[in-house]
Amino acid sequence: MSRAGTVNAALLAVLIGGAIAAHLAGELFVVTLATKAAIFALAGVGLNFALGYGGLISFGHAAFFGLGGYVTGILASHAMSGEPLTTLPYTMNGTNEMLAIWPMAMLVCGLAALAIGALSLRTSGVYFIMVTLAFAQMIYWFAVGWPRYGGEDGLSFYVRNVFPGVNSMQPLTWFAICTGLLLLALVFTATVMRARFGLALQAARRNPQRTVAVGIRPFGIRLTAFVLSAMITGLAGSLYADLNRFVSPAMLNWHMSGEIMVFVILGGVGRLTGPVAGAMLFVAMEHLLGGVSEYWPALLGLVLLGIVLFAPGGIVGILTGGRRRV
Amino acid sequence: MSDPILHVSRLRKSFGALTATDDVDLTLHPGEIHALIGPNGAGKSTLIKQIVGELRQDAGQIRFEGQRIDRLDAAARARLGLARSFQVSSVIADFTVLQNVVLAVQGASGASFRFLRPVLKDPALTEPALFHIRQAGLSERTDTPAAALSHGERRKLEIAMALALRPRAFLLDEPMAGMGAEGARTLVALLSDLRTEAPILLVEHDMDAVFALADRVSVLVYGRIVATGTVDEIRADPEVRRSYLGGDDA
Ligand SMILES: Nc1ncnc2c1ncn2[C@@H]1O[C@H](COP(=O)(O)OP(=O)(O)OP(=O)(O)O)[C@@H](O)[C@H]1O
Ligand SMILES: [Mg+2]
Repeated sequence: MSRAGTVNAALLAVLIGGAIAAHLAGELFVVTLATKAAIFALAGVGLNFALGYGGLISFGHAAFFGLGGYVTGILASHAMSGEPLTTLPYTMNGTNEMLAIWPMAMLVCGLAALAIGALSLRTSGVYFIMVTLAFAQMIYWFAVGWPRYGGEDGLSFYVRNVFPGVNSMQPLTWFAICTGLLLLALVFTATVMRARFGLALQAARRNPQRTVAVGIRPFGIRLTAFVLSAMITGLAGSLYADLNRFVSPAMLNWHMSGEIMVFVILGGVGRLTGPVAGAMLFVAMEHLLGGVSEYWPALLGLVLLGIVLFAPGGIVGILTGGRRRV
Repeated sequence: MSDPILHVSRLRKSFGALTATDDVDLTLHPGEIHALIGPNGAGKSTLIKQIVGELRQDAGQIRFEGQRIDRLDAAARARLGLARSFQVSSVIADFTVLQNVVLAVQGASGASFRFLRPVLKDPALTEPALFHIRQAGLSERTDTPAAALSHGERRKLEIAMALALRPRAFLLDEPMAGMGAEGARTLVALLSDLRTEAPILLVEHDMDAVFALADRVSVLVYGRIVATGTVDEIRADPEVRRSYLGGDDA
């Protein structure tokens, strides 16, 4: 196995091994923390797809994280109340089946990303960052001002949605579901980045002029990457809603966009398991330091600064010790 | 003479008050190397950029194999078989030589929306890529990241990428720039082989290379073509000698 492969396997082993050990020791809260790390990692894998591999610095991925969450919350609350979502043009009921909720959340996020991307990808650099941020804030304010689903206060749905054949309320089972999806997203990313699409995406990031000169238009490639990226982050949002059995506009806020970006930068931009390392470190710091002082984000800021200045490859870059290879 | 593959007519381009392309007519015929020479700032690169679609002309037409191409974007023109190299080499630095050339094969194929099969395990991509790498004389460097190549090797990589487009015409902007005498000699040999693949519009300052390779030479000064002819005609042209060759027997 290559050095990078070893690091990838080790990081996942720490996450999965840690959760199993905590389960055996009866530390259910730690299992839940590991689940949170897996979900944040998945959100980061989504962002990394666009940001790390495609160079698309989206500061609006909370839009997809939150939309995924709201789709989940809305469907679940309707399933609970028995009231249909809509009766026009035909009756559409809520559902508490994860296997129905996930595709719906991803579809909504994909469509939103198609619209947002089609406009924002006409800009680049700081403008792209600002346009993605602006769209996300629009959705945030919409959620705040929409009383039907809780407005500012958010929306609770009390019981976790169901997954066929298992008890999703059992912490280790729920961890396994989330981590399974994380693994799928990692395999998907690794596969795509080695295929034609990934080659074109990475080429367009490094040298758009050259990419055009060999007959490849970056726009369609980037838009597709943005949509796929949003779908992955949206799936994470759905899981996060189910983790807390609660969604609120905070999931859509620019703070959240910043946090997802922090997972990616801490772990290593454009490194396959970078977001896994970043999310684990984030959740660990939040848990260990958050109890000591409410100013723990200041320390996180220092760590982030150190990484950006001295180890731009992030944690994974430090562990592999090598330059990033395509 | 046969019909030209590339036919530029009455092309104009200004940057503000500066006319960088001033009513240029130019043809490129099958099998030929047509050199475009001229002093710094004459508008040679600007002309190439309009032909490949990186810049839009203000007026005039560009025909390629009989078809108007001057409204197509650069990617579309590349796929029609207009292959270029850049004055300042432009490759993808953290891709290997093979990945760079595979990218060009992929671009020419027009199919980039494939998500599963690894490119390096797809013989439809790697076989042509390896062939063109060998043609360009870079076989030993197949798995080297482009960033680690010497200047001359990077020039060869650009040629390999141009070949991978299965070009109908090459547009090479100063391929010899910055090469030593030895490197320039191997590149001259390589370019003279290229001519059998497709005709070349060659922008070059190295007069030895131009006179060794070119079938025809056009001289561009302040955006205008002041002379076009065979190597001997251009060498003998008094105006060219005065305005460009500096009077000595270059
Ligand atoms: N994008 C641009 N905007 C404004 N002026 C430009 C632009 N590109 C080129 N020019 C100007 O147009 C003129 C022609 O430039 P060009 O690069 O085509 O010359 P060249 O013949 O390729 O020169 P060299 O031999 O130095 O490469 C120059 O005066 C240059 O400064
Ligand atoms: Mg030039």
